[in-house]
Amino acid sequence: MPPGIRLERRRCGRALPGWVASVVFCGPAVLLYIGFMVLPAVLGGYYSLTRWSGWTSDAPFIGLDNFRDLLGDIRFWSAVRFTLFETVLIVLFFTFAALVLAVLLDKVTRLKGLIRGLFFYPFVLSILVSALLFQYLANYREGAVNILLRWVGLDILAQDWMGDPDLVPYFIFALVAWSGLGFFTTLYLANLQTIPTELYEAAQIDGAGPMRVFTRIQFPMLLPAITTSSVLALITGINLFGQIVVTTQGAPGYRTVTIGYYIYQLGVLANRQGYASAVSVATFLALVAVAAVQVALLRRKTVTL
Amino acid sequence: MAAMAAAAPLGCQRSDDGRKVIRVTRNIGGREGFRIHFEAWKAAFEKQNHGWTMELIDLGNAEGSEFYKSRIATGDLPEIVMTWQLARMLADGGHLVPFADDYYNKFGIALPPPYKGKRYTTQGGIQVQGIAVNKKMWTDAGITDAPKTWADFMAALAKLKAKGYMPLSYGAKDWTAAMPLEYAIATSLYYDRPTPDKPSFTQRRNTKQVRFADEPEMRIILKNLIDLIEEFAPKGAASDGYNEEQRDFYTGKAATWIMGCWIGGDIEPNKVDFDIDYWPIPSMNGRPPLFLQTSEIPSGWAITTSAAGDRLEKARAAIDLFYDPHVYQLFLNGESQVGAAAKVPVKGPQSTWPPAQKFFDSMIASTARYGYTPGFHIALDDMPPLNFMPTLAAVCQEILAGNRDIDKLLKIIDDEWDAARKGE
Repeated sequence: MPPGIRLERRRCGRALPGWVASVVFCGPAVLLYIGFMVLPAVLGGYYSLTRWSGWTSDAPFIGLDNFRDLLGDIRFWSAVRFTLFETVLIVLFFTFAALVLAVLLDKVTRLKGLIRGLFFYPFVLSILVSALLFQYLANYREGAVNILLRWVGLDILAQDWMGDPDLVPYFIFALVAWSGLGFFTTLYLANLQTIPTELYEAAQIDGAGPMRVFTRIQFPMLLPAITTSSVLALITGINLFGQIVVTTQGAPGYRTVTIGYYIYQLGVLANRQGYASAVSVATFLALVAVAAVQVALLRRKTVTL
Repeated sequence: MAAMAAAAPLGCQRSDDGRKVIRVTRNIGGREGFRIHFEAWKAAFEKQNHGWTMELIDLGNAEGSEFYKSRIATGDLPEIVMTWQLARMLADGGHLVPFADDYYNKFGIALPPPYKGKRYTTQGGIQVQGIAVNKKMWTDAGITDAPKTWADFMAALAKLKAKGYMPLSYGAKDWTAAMPLEYAIATSLYYDRPTPDKPSFTQRRNTKQVRFADEPEMRIILKNLIDLIEEFAPKGAASDGYNEEQRDFYTGKAATWIMGCWIGGDIEPNKVDFDIDYWPIPSMNGRPPLFLQTSEIPSGWAITTSAAGDRLEKARAAIDLFYDPHVYQLFLNGESQVGAAAKVPVKGPQSTWPPAQKFFDSMIASTARYGYTPGFHIALDDMPPLNFMPTLAAVCQEILAGNRDIDKLLKIIDDEWDAARKGE
């Protein structure tokens, strides 16, 4: 310990016990965390065992009935399927397309900052803004995409991007991909900077081409970043909500209802707060299981490396 | 929110913060007529209650479920809320202050059906739902009288299409998707008012005596809806909603709009310069066409338990001023409704803008000629689930998306009904 600090302590008299300092410094944060995270989660767990509408102060206890209903809930399983479909697309795209883009951007030497900034700026926009923007772009009659297609004589390609059941999953995916690509690319770019230049120099001396450099140096060195990316992309996919609220609201029919949007529909719009809590709890438990598998795989991967 | 909701009943109701303000909710959105009425109501209140003001909470195009529940959670409901069928949920939660029968008698208003023995809402005017038509286009297509049957209606739309007009203004992105299906169900399954011998379809569906999937009329309705959407829904309708429907109709692009009478309140503010007729809903079951009347049950404002002490007195004063003749006239103008308060010297909507006045006249004459049914808007405890309209919207979106399986579409309605009832 530096002498100055010891001197300071002497001036202040007896040092505060460690637990007092912990309470003073950590207490407010812990209280906030308990109030806004732990307590709602515990209450959510309790409400999942009730038939609460959200409008009354009493919440009739019904045991595990909500969970039994959940097993036969077609809408829930449809939401799970759609969420997983989107999640697979999102994980693949953010894990690999962002990686390729990062490697390409890493080679850019002129206007580097500007070009990287252009890719990153959609991530700065809030989900609300991005989704509204896409909504306007995708409108059948007046959306910029279709106007452009008609303008260049490709009327036949003008589509109802949000209303066609075959296209709308990819519309949602495109929105998420556009919004998040910059973030994931930056994540890889940052990790690319940590690769020692000696490795590139050695590869050059050995006559390795760009593909070999990528497969033998960059890809293996980026594996930890790929793992992080895939986990973050998974979270992005499972949490799809804001994009749905702003653009499709689950339409057409219930075809773009994600798990998050279904919980919102049940709890807020259909007054089934108890059942919505049960869906939340079930989803939480499923995610814990997925996370446990991921962590196990990650550990194995670390040992292999 | 869950934490706050848990805390609210434990005594976290927000007390009077000292501001002399009565907060009022209203779904104004882009409806200028609604805004003009509110400003007049506020001015009348401030004039008669010195130092007090009314504050608008505009719910846009929403019915306010999310807003009210968040305010219940924080113990801070506005003093006056515009309720519609949400009155049931608010009353169940003990958040509303009932009106005495004297209140209705004071203004000559027919007593609305009580909910669990009490009445909670003001009654606005008589609101009907029918079909608005661009008179010039329909005349050009050779039709000058309201189609009586669904077949007549479809034939008329075909003639309009053949003339090169956009026959129907239809957007399926939001609740507007449900309108044709709502009309069809309300005027078919609910054509007759319920009697003790034959309760409403709602009551029978609640006790599972009937199901939508077992009703032959529902199959006809869905077949007709499929035909309507296939033939006449504009391409890209799934991207559009109420605002686009209004724009297409009011700019003279579309010939027909399946929408409630409140659209009449926007004719003058939007300077619509052509004549519009308001016609009844064509019949799908061989009976005469008629209008749907949705205002017999709560169609107005209720006082919440946030209004206590002085605020309760002032909230009651504000509710009374709703029937000030000038304010009430503007309400009827904005909503395009006929007066329902016999002791108020205002009988119906008025406008100095000729197309608006012609619309009002057409609506009043057609309603008198064809009559109306309350459809499924019978009483607060005799209504479909709150999510019924969103369910109908989803079914229409499914049709628009290419789903032609009537059994599956009917299953959606039945399943959603049963699921929603679990939340009530």
